[in-house]
Amino acid sequence: MALKIIDTCVNCFACEPLCPSKAIYKAEAYFLINPKKCTECEGDFEVPQCAAICPIEGAILDSLGVPINPPGSLTGIPPEKMAEAMAELQAH
Amino acid sequence: MELPVLNEQPASKGGCSASSCGTTDDQLGHLSDDIRAKVENHPCYSEDAHHYFARMHVAVAPACNIQCHYCNRKYDCANESRPGVVSELLMPDQAVKKTMAVAANIPQMTVLGIAGPGDPLANPERTFETFRRLSEEAPDIKLCVSTNGLALPDAVEELSKHNIDHVTITINCLDPEVGAKIYPWIFWENKRIHGIEGARILIEQQQKGLEMLVAKGILVKVNSVMIPGVNDKHLAEVSKTVKAKGAFLHNVMPLIAEAEHGTFYGVMGQRGPSPEELMELQDACSGDMNMMRHCRQCRADAVGMLGEDRGDEFTLDKIEDMEIDYQAAMEKRKVIHEAIAEEMNSKRAAKAESANLHAQAEKLTTRPVLMAVATSGQGVINMHFGHAKEFLIYEASPEGVRFISHRKTDLYCSGDDSCGDGESVLQVTIRTLEGCEAVLCSKIGFEPWDMLEQAGIMPNGEHAMEPIEEAVMAVYKEMAAAGKLDEAKAEQRATA
Ligand code: SF4
Ligand code: SF4
Repeated sequence: MALKIIDTCVNCFACEPLCPSKAIYKAEAYFLINPKKCTECEGDFEVPQCAAICPIEGAILDSLGVPINPPGSLTGIPPEKMAEAMAELQAH
Repeated sequence: MELPVLNEQPASKGGCSASSCGTTDDQLGHLSDDIRAKVENHPCYSEDAHHYFARMHVAVAPACNIQCHYCNRKYDCANESRPGVVSELLMPDQAVKKTMAVAANIPQMTVLGIAGPGDPLANPERTFETFRRLSEEAPDIKLCVSTNGLALPDAVEELSKHNIDHVTITINCLDPEVGAKIYPWIFWENKRIHGIEGARILIEQQQKGLEMLVAKGILVKVNSVMIPGVNDKHLAEVSKTVKAKGAFLHNVMPLIAEAEHGTFYGVMGQRGPSPEELMELQDACSGDMNMMRHCRQCRADAVGMLGEDRGDEFTLDKIEDMEIDYQAAMEKRKVIHEAIAEEMNSKRAAKAESANLHAQAEKLTTRPVLMAVATSGQGVINMHFGHAKEFLIYEASPEGVRFISHRKTDLYCSGDDSCGDGESVLQVTIRTLEGCEAVLCSKIGFEPWDMLEQAGIMPNGEHAMEPIEEAVMAVYKEMAAAGKLDEAKAEQRATA
């Protein structure tokens, strides 16, 4: 059981010092979680710390590969609204 | 807007040079002598000092502990800088080297700030390591830090150990219900806390931090972002409260929100204030408290003076090769700083003198006028209209000349030939100058001249290299003599 950081990570360093298992490390392009070390914070905290501070929706996946912070959950921007705005910008 | 009119200036400050006639000198009037001495030559507070001295930022603090609706975490924090810009992240070691390299090469650089890209106090190791080393190795540099306040109470003790000149707290509200419309969540005690509860904790921490800093004798400046319809009506109260608690400056900045920044406000169509709305609020707060109007929301890693950016000269690979003898640099800096201080003092004296003369002269009864000035520093009109990336806005009135604000021309535009809506750079610039009736610059081309005239803004290149206040007053008097200031401005616009 382990969480996973994917390539939308913006290298903000916020998660790294919070990890009770020292599972998070800065890799070449972005931060990664060592799956052998990650405990999902069990026994240490109520919620996985990395996912509780990460500001980027979709950057951290649970052990099933599902984003813990889905689109809209952190910014409050409804995904349709975001898609609309982006489509409009593209059109210009 | 329903805002109380609070703009009463104390009348008893040694006549006109201290209160209504000066520029921002009068903003410092209410301060105690020791604070005054501290801020007088500070590029961030003293309007005339920022023509001579500069500050820089280093981006050592990427992590953040809250989310603001005007920020997109894929870019720099919008609280101290422009959204959509990514700074080069530095490790403390690199930041120290960069700061010393800049200080050795640009002696005007006197203040080093840590403002982002995240929250400096959410990155305590990196932030404090940078401060600790600079306090030791470059003691002639003042240090400052900006924070959202959440982690501030825990950091006060450590901050008081370094060469910290001032702390800036961004306080946008006192009411958690207003806060919930600005801050979707905070990270607090190992959990993400959303909505009103999160805002309540943040506000409590900010106020507590402010009180603790004041108790320690550390200067506190408060920044607020003006968000029309969200906190605009609330900010006069914020101003009053933070002043009562001992903050020495309050700086209201406009919200910058564009869909392409991908921020909540940008995407949801929340607008920023117009220059006029911002000025109205700043005026409403200024009687209440000392307002800072010359903040330029500089980029978090900008280097240089008056909106210029010389960052390209100090990239990581370039500073890598620089050999810096800081002891020698410090001696050189000292000599230059003394010369600048002397020049500033003589200019201040000259200004007081001319203000006195002005006070004795017959008073005009004409209406006030806003004018834009293109300058690259030294307090004179020395910039070509077409090269100006920002304008200084002054108000001329029978009371004298006072500095109002900076307006950037590239806030909404990346500097290509045209912006999103097919507006030309020139059109954007003219829109930035809305409300001004004249623009003073060293030179100006034919095309902008015509377009400015059509927009009811009179271009003027006749005062090149003259001191700003004198030139603005001269133009004002010309306008008065020509009878342009008798009729109401609205009518004049309608027929222009
Ligand atoms: S879930 Fe917990 S243990 Fe696993 S990487 Fe994140 S912070 Fe570390
Ligand atoms: S908090 Fe999120 S964005 Fe920041 S470094 Fe960790 S995974 Fe990347």
